[in-house]
Amino acid sequence: MALKFDYVIRETGRNLRRNLTLTVASVLTVFVSLALLGVALLLQKGVSNATDRWEDGVEFIIFLQPDRSTSQQERIESMLERQVPGAIDRYRFVTQQEAYEEFSNDFFPNTPEITDLVTPEILPPSYRVVPTELDAEQVEVLARSFEDEPGVRRVIRATEEIRKIERATDVVRWIVLVAGIILLATGLLLILNTIRMAMFARRREIEVMKLVGATNWFILVPFMLEGTAQGIMGAAMGSGAVYGANRAFARWLASDNVLNILQSFAVDSGEVWGIALLLMGIGAAVGAVGSAIAAYRWLDV
Amino acid sequence: MIKLESVTKVYKGEVLALHEASCDIQKGEFVFLVGPSGSGKSTFLRLLNKEEDPDKGQIFVAGKDIGRLSRWRVPYLRRNIGSIFQDFKLLPNKTVAQNVAFALEVIGRPKHVVKTQVPAILELVGLQKKMHNLPHELSGGEQQRVSIARAFVNRPLILLADEPTGNLDPATSVGIMRLLDRINKTGTTVVMATHDRGIVDTMRRRVIELDRGQIVRDQVRGVY
Repeated sequence: MALKFDYVIRETGRNLRRNLTLTVASVLTVFVSLALLGVALLLQKGVSNATDRWEDGVEFIIFLQPDRSTSQQERIESMLERQVPGAIDRYRFVTQQEAYEEFSNDFFPNTPEITDLVTPEILPPSYRVVPTELDAEQVEVLARSFEDEPGVRRVIRATEEIRKIERATDVVRWIVLVAGIILLATGLLLILNTIRMAMFARRREIEVMKLVGATNWFILVPFMLEGTAQGIMGAAMGSGAVYGANRAFARWLASDNVLNILQSFAVDSGEVWGIALLLMGIGAAVGAVGSAIAAYRWLDV
Repeated sequence: MIKLESVTKVYKGEVLALHEASCDIQKGEFVFLVGPSGSGKSTFLRLLNKEEDPDKGQIFVAGKDIGRLSRWRVPYLRRNIGSIFQDFKLLPNKTVAQNVAFALEVIGRPKHVVKTQVPAILELVGLQKKMHNLPHELSGGEQQRVSIARAFVNRPLILLADEPTGNLDPATSVGIMRLLDRINKTGTTVVMATHDRGIVDTMRRRVIELDRGQIVRDQVRGVY
């Protein structure tokens, strides 16, 4: 038996209006919690864009001359290879094309003025090296041993600055994430409670419906839609907030007085859409789960 | 149509609501369930539409063992069973017509069926003039007629009545019994739990008497 579309819409709308205060409370809680989650994700994306090449324990990068000879490169590679698994845990070669992609996608995603000036041929290829020992002095000795090799342009180390950014944003991200999750749980409980109130207010109707043989689905769907609608409304507002925050950040980056290094924190709109989609999914799921729990417990007794 | 085979129902481990009850009710019969309060009459009725499950024994409704009915099939069982109660269970914010229509709408009957069936059934129970009134504007007897209309609008095979005249004066009760008798004459099996001696004695139908959960009497044309 098909559920009647107009019946479901009418019932859902009526329930949402009837419980206005609780509905507003649920929606706002979901909104704030998902906005926090979204910002945490945004931060994570920004930091990972900025520090991509320093991830997974890479401690120094050997940049080669774009015009190095094959034998020079082979010599450097064999130097690296000889020390695996001794002083070096692993290393990775990054081609000029890969370097160009990293440059244009991660470092300057919103500034074509800069990326247009650059071609893969002028960017140096590099080795990303992960040492076994993280002791600063040993890493320094290892890094310096490559510095004077022919064909090497420059060796750069993961500076204390980058580690600091990573650590600081890690802490902030965790705080925001935990706060967001706690609020999300609160939102779920609020939705559960709203639906329970709605079902309690309509207990006579539900009793009659069961008596005359309405299916459980027929009774449940309007309530579940009500909860899901609350979750989606909160998520839509949360996504809007994340989008707005990113726009404001991008505009601030575009103004002249900002350090160039922060440019690499920019998150492109595709990534923001991804986050928004994720938030909508979470919101809908929270609403559906909350109302399903409420409805199931009510119907079961 | 209805068959109980040594059915036992115990509440909370001690209160014995039904004990080894067996009986067989044919299609089209009119049966009174009598006995003092707490003798198991309401439990008997609640077991038939699977509002509760027995602890022992089997129950057959329309030839089917309802103990083996899965949860999601229960609504379809109930579409074959109309129920009326002492307190009517009408929805106070819906009109007479809306109360009756509700029973059809929530089982997914199309609009045109609702449009024709509701006025027809309200005419049968004699309330066509009050179809736009709210329940609180009606007398007790009229409210019970609305609830009978709602129970019967889907033409169920069985009508279960739990003390339908319990809140009504004797004259009004007679009217309700005439209506139930008419419904019974259409071939619907009626099972009615009652305390009303006068009604049972004048109708002279089959009487099943319960006492502390046991069937102590089953008479074809009995009195209270």
